[in-house]
This record gives sequence, structure tokens and C-alpha cells, in this order.
Amino acid sequence: MTRKVLSIQSHVVHGYVGNKAANFPLQYRGWDVDALNTVQFSNHPGYGHFNGFRSQAKDLRDIIEKGLIKGLELKYDAILTGYLPDPEALREIGDVVANLCESDANIKWVLDPVLGDNGKLYVSPEAVPAYKDILTKGNVFLATPNQFEMEILTDVPITDLRALKSAITRFHELYPKVLHVVVTSVTFSSLSDNTILCACSEPSDPSSARYFNVRKIDVHFSGTGDLCCALLLDVLLRQASSLAGAVNEVLSLVDKILIRTLELHIQQDPTKEKHPTKINDLRLIESRDLLDEPAQNRYTPMPL
Amino acid sequence: MPRLLATQSHVVHGFVGNKAATFPLQCKGWDVDCVNSVQFSNHTGYGMERVFGTSTSAQELESVFQGLKSFQDYDAMLSGYLPNRESVVCMAKNHSEMKKRDPRLMWLLDPVMGDDGELYVNENVIPEYKRLVESSLVDVITPNQFELEILYGAKIQTVQELQKALDSLHQTVPVIVVTSCSVELFQDPKNLYCVASMRNQPAAVYRVPVIDSYFTGVGDLFSALLIDSIYNMREASGDAGRLDLNGVLATVHNVLDVTLQHSPKNLKASIGSPLTMKQMELRIIESKKWYNTTAETKDFYVGRLNDI
Repeated sequence: MTRKVLSIQSHVVHGYVGNKAANFPLQYRGWDVDALNTVQFSNHPGYGHFNGFRSQAKDLRDIIEKGLIKGLELKYDAILTGYLPDPEALREIGDVVANLCESDANIKWVLDPVLGDNGKLYVSPEAVPAYKDILTKGNVFLATPNQFEMEILTDVPITDLRALKSAITRFHELYPKVLHVVVTSVTFSSLSDNTILCACSEPSDPSSARYFNVRKIDVHFSGTGDLCCALLLDVLLRQASSLAGAVNEVLSLVDKILIRTLELHIQQDPTKEKHPTKINDLRLIESRDLLDEPAQNRYTPMPL
Repeated sequence: MPRLLATQSHVVHGFVGNKAATFPLQCKGWDVDCVNSVQFSNHTGYGMERVFGTSTSAQELESVFQGLKSFQDYDAMLSGYLPNRESVVCMAKNHSEMKKRDPRLMWLLDPVMGDDGELYVNENVIPEYKRLVESSLVDVITPNQFELEILYGAKIQTVQELQKALDSLHQTVPVIVVTSCSVELFQDPKNLYCVASMRNQPAAVYRVPVIDSYFTGVGDLFSALLIDSIYNMREASGDAGRLDLNGVLATVHNVLDVTLQHSPKNLKASIGSPLTMKQMELRIIESKKWYNTTAETKDFYVGRLNDI
């Protein structure tokens, strides 16, 4: 049976963020992805300009409740929720998905609490309490905050390894229903310039918390977080070895995709600078062979 | 890497419109940029009372197109189902502007209006599609026979009349693929007939065995694969290329085959029964391996239209 996931995220026409970053890798790895688009934008805001519109909270709710669940009686293996810029839609969707997970224990809810990055909120401040509520009440299988989001959700500033551990401990105290947490792109001053950290933990076994020293490519790639989250869903739900094993596999694969993206970026336009500071669009289609390769784990899990 | 702009419908569940077109093309190496003309929970074959979601308003569509103006890196455009006259006008304006700016951009227009004598858009859409077809900006159209008759302006009852209709539309459209002809035309209810015609070349007739079931999205899959096929033909041999539908038809055939294998035995979907309809959604994902299979394709070619 083909596994089914309902992915509730943004849609951009051009480029690969939100549902555009998540859908193809999941489909390529055999998932039947029902994509519910929370916005339709021409491209992501990282370009500096974009046009488009948001879906209405009520329409999103009707599509799920009246259409997919009641009308078609669909059973999902997973629900993925990502960027939801409108706080009202966020609460609405949070509510709908929480109810679904409550009524069907087989659904695994993967939640990316998209709030911002690098010290900057890129949603309305009202989204913060909304996410806190969702994480408190909902049966979330996996949450994937980045460092900034983790700090907001726990009120613990992550300034070193010890603080990272405290933040995770605090996260488990505040949100005991969240079964797995993966904290992405962690940096602090005592880390070397070419490393970022990624950490993972489960409240059921705090001693299993691990972190990884991840090779840092000094380029900002839009959509990396969305891609990571989708791939974690796939790896964790398909072969469920261990959380740290899944994280290692995903980090290793994403690293290969970023390298491929950078190589193509430079190669296809030699006039471009050799060391770009940002790349707007992941080359997901041209990386599809990598999605089919057997798993390789390039990192060493370290006890936290 | 070729890049396609596709303006048609989006359904959350199932595979029609952009959902049917995107994954196969991505597997073939296309970057597919989707402008969604609607966002519905599922396709309308489930019965309108089971369709939730909204049509994208012309104003919203226009806004998305405005945002796309800074990207001029498309190789092809596809336009399919649009829910009303305003959205057709909006698509037509924006796709036309892009085509004028970059004439090498290949545009496939699927003039989705109806089938088997039944119109499923408002009548006021018809003149807009006619205008587009006469604009000389569209490279390929993929009407079914009913839609062809609307564009041509007369019923088609014989092969000779079909040839006349093709000749007439070829004045402004270089490539015409009639995706399904009415049963009366070829007097062969066991097969579905498809006619491919390039300007100044004899039209070719293809046939595929009729599968006694109700699939949706087949036309959308077909037009997506056709874009890829024509694009590659032009890349390889320019205007001297000859259109061969065998590869496209074989892939569609394989997807239908995979779909049937996954559906319960002896299931014949009836329109409106949601749980049966659900079983007949195209198995686009499960068919992944067929999108890049070039080996040994079946021969669906029957002969020249004029020889029949």
C-alpha cells in the first residue's frame, strides 16, 4: 500500500520552498501526497519581491473536514504542517489536525513550527502563542524547530552545548506530548565557523538525545528546512530505526543535495560568483538520483 | 533543464490537472511551475456536493502572474482547465505576453470545454478559446472531438470533415492532436482513436484499446507528456521533426495498467460514488518507473488519416 500524507504548507509557482520543496521528494520516495496549499505566491519572499494570495482559514478547514475526511473517508499515515502565515489559519488548522490525530491514533503529525530564522520573526507575533498551544495540546509525533524557533518556544537562549541541552529538557517539560524533537541549524560563538549543530531527543528516553556536527556550506539555501522536515517524515516513518539514525540519514542526504545545488549554480553560469552568499532555489529535480540512492550516514551521533 | 509554466487546476487529493501533469514531468527532468486555477479537495467527478475549496479569482491569478514577470526562464507553457471566462481571459493575456516576449517558448493549449456533446464550462468561455486559437500564438492544441467541433464551428461526421477541420485550424495552429474521436467516426467501438496532425504533413491516426472503466485526468497526463515529446522533437530536429505519439500513448497506457492493477477486481467506477471513484484515481506515483522507460514501446499507429 502506498503511504499517504496530507501536507499543509505554502505553494510557490517558481522555486522550491514549502509544499514545492516537500512534495516531490516525498512522491519520488513513494508517498501519495495530498497537498493543501495555505498560500499561492509567485515565488518565496527571499527574492525580495513576490505576489500572490493566502487561502482563507475556513476554506482550508472545509477542504480537510468536509472534503477529505467526511466526503472521501481518507486515512492518512501522516500529516505534515509547515508555513502558515495567518495566525487565524494556524489556529484553525492546528485545531483540525489535533482533532484528526485524536480520532485516529495511526496518524503521525509532523509539525514544523515556522516562526522565523536567525533572530528574526517572519510571521506575525500572534503565531508564537498559537504554536505553543498546539505543541501543548496536540499529539505531535515530530517537531522540527530551528535554533531561533526553539529559543522562542522554550525561552532558553542557546549559547552553548549545555544551553542546547537545557532548551531540549525545557521543551520536553513544556510539551510532553511531542514524541520527537529535532533542532536544526544551531550555531553559537564557541563553534567553529564551518560547523552547525543539529540535535534530536525524545522525552520517553532523554538519555538517547544526540547531536551532530554538521558540515556548514556557507551559503543560504531557501527551502532547506522544508526539505529536511519532509525527508525526516519519510525516513522516520518508513524504516524507523532510531531517531538519531533517521536524523543522520537525512542530514547526509540534504548535504548531498545542497552540494549538487551549489555545483549546478556555479557550473551553469560561469559569470556567477564562485562563492554566492545565497541560492534562491534548490535544484531538487536535478537531485532526484540522490533521492533514490541507498542511505549513507556521514555524521557521528554524539551524546548530548 | 527545461522549465514549464503550467496553468490549470489543483486538487488536494487525487490526480487531475496540475497534480496529474507535474510528477511525471518532474521525473522526466522538468522544473514544473504550477499556477493553480482552483484549489479543490478532489475532482468534480465525485459529484459537486463533494467538492470543497475555491476557484482562484481572476484578480488573484493576475497577481501571481505579475509576480512571475521577473522570471523569464521558461521553455514551455501549458494551459488547461480554467473555471470561468475571467480566468481564461487572465491566463490568455499573461501567456500571450510571455509568448510574444519569447517566441521560442512553446505553448500547448488544452481547450478544456467539455466532452461527448456536453459542455462543462460556461458558454461565454467559447469565444475566448476561439480567439486564442486564432491568435497564432499557440503552438499545440489538444481538443477532443467535441472541443474541436466547437473551435472549428461545425459538426464532424466523416474522416474527410475531420481533415477539413484540421486544415482550417492549421492556418493558425502548427500542431493539433485530437485526443479522442467519437465512436461513429472510425466505426470501431473497441478502440479509442487519436489523430495527430502537423501543419503541412499528413495527419496520423493512432488507436488504443478502450478500457471499460471511468478514469479522470488521463487527458491532463497526456497533454503533459505530449509537451515533453514535442519539446524534445524540436530540440533534436527543429521544424523538420515528425510527431510520433507512440511513446506518449505507451506511457499513458502503462499508467492506466498500473491503476487497474491497484484497483479491486471487476471494479467499474460509476460517477458519483465517492469510494469507487477514489479507487480509480490514476496511480501516478506507483507508475514512477514508466516515465523514463524508452524500451520497446507498443505500436499504436494505424496509418495516415487520408488513407482511411
